[in-house]
Amino acid sequence: MSNETQTYQRFPIARRIEHIFMLLSFGLLGLTGLPQKFPTLNISIFITSTFGSVENLRLVHHIAATVMMLGTAWHILVAGYKIFVLKEPMSMLPAVKDALDGIQALLYNLGIGKKFPQMGRFNFEEKLEYWAFVWGAAVMGLTGFMMWNPLITLKLLPGEAIPAAKAAHGGEAILAVAAIIIWHMYGVHLKKFNKSMFTGKMSEEDMLHEHPLELADLKAGLAGPRVIDPIQLRKRKAIYYPIAGLLTVVMLAAVYGFVNGENTAITTIPPVSSPIPAYLPQTPTPIPPLPPQESGPVGPISWNSYIGPLFQENCTSCHGDMAFGGLSLVTYSDAMLGGDHGQVIIPSNSSDSLLVIVQSSGEHYAQLTAEELDNIVKWINNGAPEK
Amino acid sequence: MSNFLSTNKERRRALLTVVVGLALVGTALGLTQPVTASQKSLPGARTASDDSTCLGCHSKPGLTKELANGEVMLLTIDAEHFSETVHSSEGLSCTNCHLDISGFPHLPFAASSLREASILLYPVCQKCHIEQYNQTLDSIHQKQLAGGNYNAAICTDCHNPHIQKRITDPTTGQLLPDARLQIPQTCARCHSGIYNAYKSSVHGDALKNYENQEVPTCISCHGVHNIQDPRTDAFRTNSPLLCAGCHTNPEIMDKYNISTNVLNTYVSDFHGTTITLFEETNSDQPSNKPVCYDCHGVHDIKRADDPDYGIAMKENLLIKCQVCHPGADANFPTAWMSHYIPSATKYPLVYYINLFYKFFIPLVLGGMGGYVLIDFIHRMVVRLKGADRK
Repeated sequence: MSNETQTYQRFPIARRIEHIFMLLSFGLLGLTGLPQKFPTLNISIFITSTFGSVENLRLVHHIAATVMMLGTAWHILVAGYKIFVLKEPMSMLPAVKDALDGIQALLYNLGIGKKFPQMGRFNFEEKLEYWAFVWGAAVMGLTGFMMWNPLITLKLLPGEAIPAAKAAHGGEAILAVAAIIIWHMYGVHLKKFNKSMFTGKMSEEDMLHEHPLELADLKAGLAGPRVIDPIQLRKRKAIYYPIAGLLTVVMLAAVYGFVNGENTAITTIPPVSSPIPAYLPQTPTPIPPLPPQESGPVGPISWNSYIGPLFQENCTSCHGDMAFGGLSLVTYSDAMLGGDHGQVIIPSNSSDSLLVIVQSSGEHYAQLTAEELDNIVKWINNGAPEK
Repeated sequence: MSNFLSTNKERRRALLTVVVGLALVGTALGLTQPVTASQKSLPGARTASDDSTCLGCHSKPGLTKELANGEVMLLTIDAEHFSETVHSSEGLSCTNCHLDISGFPHLPFAASSLREASILLYPVCQKCHIEQYNQTLDSIHQKQLAGGNYNAAICTDCHNPHIQKRITDPTTGQLLPDARLQIPQTCARCHSGIYNAYKSSVHGDALKNYENQEVPTCISCHGVHNIQDPRTDAFRTNSPLLCAGCHTNPEIMDKYNISTNVLNTYVSDFHGTTITLFEETNSDQPSNKPVCYDCHGVHDIKRADDPDYGIAMKENLLIKCQVCHPGADANFPTAWMSHYIPSATKYPLVYYINLFYKFFIPLVLGGMGGYVLIDFIHRMVVRLKGADRK
């Protein structure tokens, strides 16, 4: 039979390239969208780290969305050309027959119907997928715009529109990805791998199974490439091209506006919201106030008036009962007696008095103040009087 | 002649062995011997009579020493205060910590400033508090100190050993309620600016004015002893989980009628989604998406319904939004669902869209799946029968 070798042109190269762009952008959108919808899943963390970071993930999501928008714009221009210039039949439009075909196919598969439906260039499965995609693209595009450009959106809509858009975007995404997996994967890959979207061709046998009515029309010369009157064609092109040109500009401007509509947020690290310096010590009060110092003695300095109490206060912890170094400074006579190193107070000779020498060196364990020492020097030089 | 230690290399090695050996013996003998703080009486603890020798001089008021840099060091110890400290009640005496003091006159004092004196003395704390001491080695304070910042806190800055009272329950090890109330004041000694902000916050107010034991103090978020640098990117991206530690716990939150959905509503929104993925994949890198404290405040966290600062007020929230969204107008804050889960009364549009997809998705997918399954079964049946569809 010649059926096995005879093939029919199904998709020109431009449609096949368009399909590849849509396939890639859809796949990337789904892949990069999943972690944004379900950030706590392990798979989300894996995908995000594969892309490097969530910022990269979002960038790829935005690039893929832009590719899909441009693909959609191209699709609209081509559809317009085929409908208005080539006057090709609108074979993708849904009709009552498609619903009936669906029911008939279901009944047949259930063993109730006797015949599988005979279908044309696009069967009901393909039309369902096409229009589901159109619906999905519209919802995703609209809600995507709102999330991408919340400042612009909120000039027209209440704030709740943004989380609502996010909810719809997420819900629709699950629907779209799952529908592709169930419907598209089964319909053109599992049931029978339909390669026509990549090769552009379909064998006569497959045509007979999938699109018997189109095959019949092709055989009868009612479908397929048609000869159009060149004058007519030129006329239609002359009308369509300016319109398409204008449409192109509008659509490109729309995509540009979509992508670059606003600067939603700063791209730098936000300023630290707390400008308080970390180290700001309280006024240090490490030493409790010292006991009030006696202001200098009034009149001539004597043991009784000044020196005795001074020693009592500052020295007698060691040079008291314990008499460190054999020296006691409790009474006048003890003090004048000196210690193990001999006399410490030599009346009228402060520079040779050991007490003054030791205190002046700054090496004695307990230290009198300069003023106190000064008063002692004055007292010694004055003959170190008791009274 | 013997060739014993004949080369310089061998001599050096022998010397090194002796030094290391001595160091090990020294360690084993006690300097760094770990003793838990809860132990009742410490090996070598002196009797109170040792203290009376020291206090013979050191109880005198106004006993001071002028240090090389001119600072005056107070050497007076208030014996009555000290007797109330945890150290005194555990039987510690002066020379348990002041190891270099064995008589009079004392060894020359090496420190040239008050700060240097503290820094030279504090490592002795590890004798008993080795666990806490080791934790501080990992802290920002220790890193600052190692980097030459002598203002960085050491043990004795927070726990003055001469007046430190017991802060934990000896049996449970739990922080005592009174001690907990004092924590912010302790940190305030160096971080007074932050303390002032905290004091005015919903947490600080509850702690200070109502002695609330559940609100976080400084250490609840920053940790104690092993305090980390809170300015790192990792701290920032992980911070929502820190807040969530309390704010998703209904046992605490229900009492105050605060929602425990704050984390999941944050994570499911744009900002939180980004931070969550950041935390998992790039937590050591900066993110400019807000975490809890960017909107609620770092230390000056206010009630959301505070009329002047609360971000439940859209005009207050707008100020926060505009930090990152300079173009935001008055309508913008309403795009944020304020941690609410959408319901028929709160954010109904979002609620009904979710509801729509909740039914629409299974409906469509169920229909498709059902058709596909029936088609598949039919094909299998036909194939088994060996027939073909015509």
